[in-house]
Amino acid sequence: MLSRVAENLYWMTRYMERAENTARLINATSQVLLDLPRGASFGWDVLIKVAGLDELFREHYASYDESSIMKFLICDERNPGSILSCIHYARENSRTLREILPRTAWERINALYLFVNGRASHAVDRARRYNILEEIIERRQAVIGLLADCMSHDVAYQFIRIGRFLERADMTTRIVDINAAVLVPRQQVPEDPAMALLWMGVLKSLNAYQMYRRHASVHVRSGDVVNYLLKDPEFPRTVRYCLDELEACVSELPHNGPPLKLLRIAQRRIAGMHVDDLTPAQRHEYLDAVQADLARVHAAIAGEYFNYYEPDKDQRQSAVSGQASL
Amino acid sequence: MNIKNYPLNGSYDELIDAEHRPRPAATKLFEFLSGFSPAEMNERRAAVDAAIMTMGITFTIYSDGSNIDRAWPFDIIPRVMAAQEWRRVDAGLRQRLKALNLFINDIYNEQKIVKDGVFPLEVLAGSKNFRAQCKGITPRFGVWAHICGTDLVRDQDGTIYVLEDNLRVPSGVSYMLENRMLMKRLFPELFEQCEILPVDDYTTRLHETLAALSPDSGERPVIAVLTPGIYNSAYFEHSYLAQQLGAVLVEGPDLVVGADDSVYMKTIDGLRRIDVIYRRIDDDFLDPEAFRPDSALGVRGLMRAWRRGKVAIANAPGAGVADDKVVYTFVPKMIKYYLGEEAILPNVPSYLCMHDKERDYVLANLDKLVVKPANESGGYGMLIGPRATQQERDNFRKQICADPRNYMAQPTLNLSTAPTLFDSGLAPRHLDLRPFVLQSEKMYVTTGGLTRVAMREGSLVVNSSQGGGSKDTWIVEERR
Repeated sequence: MLSRVAENLYWMTRYMERAENTARLINATSQVLLDLPRGASFGWDVLIKVAGLDELFREHYASYDESSIMKFLICDERNPGSILSCIHYARENSRTLREILPRTAWERINALYLFVNGRASHAVDRARRYNILEEIIERRQAVIGLLADCMSHDVAYQFIRIGRFLERADMTTRIVDINAAVLVPRQQVPEDPAMALLWMGVLKSLNAYQMYRRHASVHVRSGDVVNYLLKDPEFPRTVRYCLDELEACVSELPHNGPPLKLLRIAQRRIAGMHVDDLTPAQRHEYLDAVQADLARVHAAIAGEYFNYYEPDKDQRQSAVSGQASL
Repeated sequence: MNIKNYPLNGSYDELIDAEHRPRPAATKLFEFLSGFSPAEMNERRAAVDAAIMTMGITFTIYSDGSNIDRAWPFDIIPRVMAAQEWRRVDAGLRQRLKALNLFINDIYNEQKIVKDGVFPLEVLAGSKNFRAQCKGITPRFGVWAHICGTDLVRDQDGTIYVLEDNLRVPSGVSYMLENRMLMKRLFPELFEQCEILPVDDYTTRLHETLAALSPDSGERPVIAVLTPGIYNSAYFEHSYLAQQLGAVLVEGPDLVVGADDSVYMKTIDGLRRIDVIYRRIDDDFLDPEAFRPDSALGVRGLMRAWRRGKVAIANAPGAGVADDKVVYTFVPKMIKYYLGEEAILPNVPSYLCMHDKERDYVLANLDKLVVKPANESGGYGMLIGPRATQQERDNFRKQICADPRNYMAQPTLNLSTAPTLFDSGLAPRHLDLRPFVLQSEKMYVTTGGLTRVAMREGSLVVNSSQGGGSKDTWIVEERR
């Protein structure tokens, strides 16, 4: 497997995963906002902060109103993290992979791009948003299913999974962190009903609400939710689950010492976290540390597989622009 | 679909004769099409356009500094040719390529053809595609141009001429294959009724052709398709062929030449040796050590590896010496010289501006002739005299006088047409045909080739980079 191909496979899925997570987050938030009491300061701007795109947003927009934020997150090509940009990059990456991927996979990714390119701007409108974003999620799921069923589970496939689970783990930590940006009126009351609504929204954005209620608790309490989303070994969007999957994928690769070692550090950090003892601020710091762990795993994978023969990374020209943005 | 009102325009039409009757090879096609209303035809056309978009059959054009991925313009009315006529073309192409490869090998070695006074040295001296770095080399089987796309046109009287031989990095074959696949999806009924010869074995033959070049006989050779990358107009084709060949699609930075002068690709698990490179980048960019030092597309040391026989390159570096519109005019003489045969397929009559008399004729008849620079491709840089403005003709006059070796001229052929579907119904459009010829241990000619159509009314320029489209090409066995 060519290093460049491995790298493009990895980014292709990272971008698609990011687009899907953004779509999920927007849909879940749209629901939650309708239920929040007057005066709660949770607003759309939280989504921008979660994604770490605050500065870029302010460069291009004057206010944090719903329509600006939706435009920025869904269809603004100046935002490398917008759904449209991500799908666009994913498609450009997959274009260099046409000889690796099953033909129908390229066709579906291309069709997904054509759909997003044609329709994404309509999703700024609240009445049409839900359906369009759901369709993006569905189509992206169809691509995953196709790859799982119609592609050899070879080394190329491992890179596809690595991109997916690394991005997903990172996104889950950001989504869990969402309430660090939330201020409920009056005093901080952790189990305020408004907070419960937000946590429910968090679970729903990850499609985890039902599974959480079945396996963890019928009550939506912040400590339980955070514990579940970070540590549950069975739900496929928890950080723990993603890390375990990553470990399995990386184990299939040659000279995997450095990334495996870093993965284990991340796993230990998650296992050793006692959510209930933490203040929201401490929790935020903790999640930042997990994100840093993931960034180091990424760097190790890039070092071992993408730039193995080129310690001088700057000389390398990426096939697709925009890859550097994380 | 009714052809009674088909507006023949005086050119030879490939499918319909002067009395508005289908030509024999196209009879079945029109029997079938007569069952369709124009609305139904347009429905099928829309279905094809949608399929092309989703399948992402595209080519890239450069516009305003950015790249636009344009859907491949495809016309659903096939171009049909009788198998009997095709067999003669096939034989003519084999003969031509055999002679061309003998010529290239001779030019880089003994230059007998020059010594015997058949080919003038001054033409060679002025050739932009002659590579001194290739002197003294005889690649395997003596073959330099392993993949050739030869452009054929038919004039008013029905004669098929060779217009040019593309011996460097000819493209288009993937579109030939995709066009056929689209037609099978679209009109499966037709393939039951007509005896259309298949084209699908091209990639198998290409693999055979390339594998036979491997310096390391025995083991399954590692073949790589070397592409300039995603921004190249033919990137779709590069990735398509790599996929079909089971080859690795590589870009220059993916490869290194080792201390042992072998070529390696950078994989996630170390360096892996490559035996055969099907390169889709021009000589100039192949190796910054041997050619353009500023090339970022190539591989440093690749020429060294090739000269030492550590890797095979198809087409061989330097093969383009025969892909020159002036050298072209000598091909019938080459056939005679090397093979002792008369050319089966004629050249278009040509005037060489390097000869005083012929140049005077060209300059006096600029309004009647097509003038071409020796080394351009893709329809760039040529003058179509009858359609040019006085100023364009004057510019060319100056250019010709400044560099006569670099120009040749041909009469403006009245290219044949074929019915092409528009909203208003069928209308004739001019076209050409690019068959592909493979040569290494064995020789192979595609069944038909890529038919390119000038989609604008009256236009003679079929290049896709200039707004041309394409058709499926049917070689049909006529049952008697």
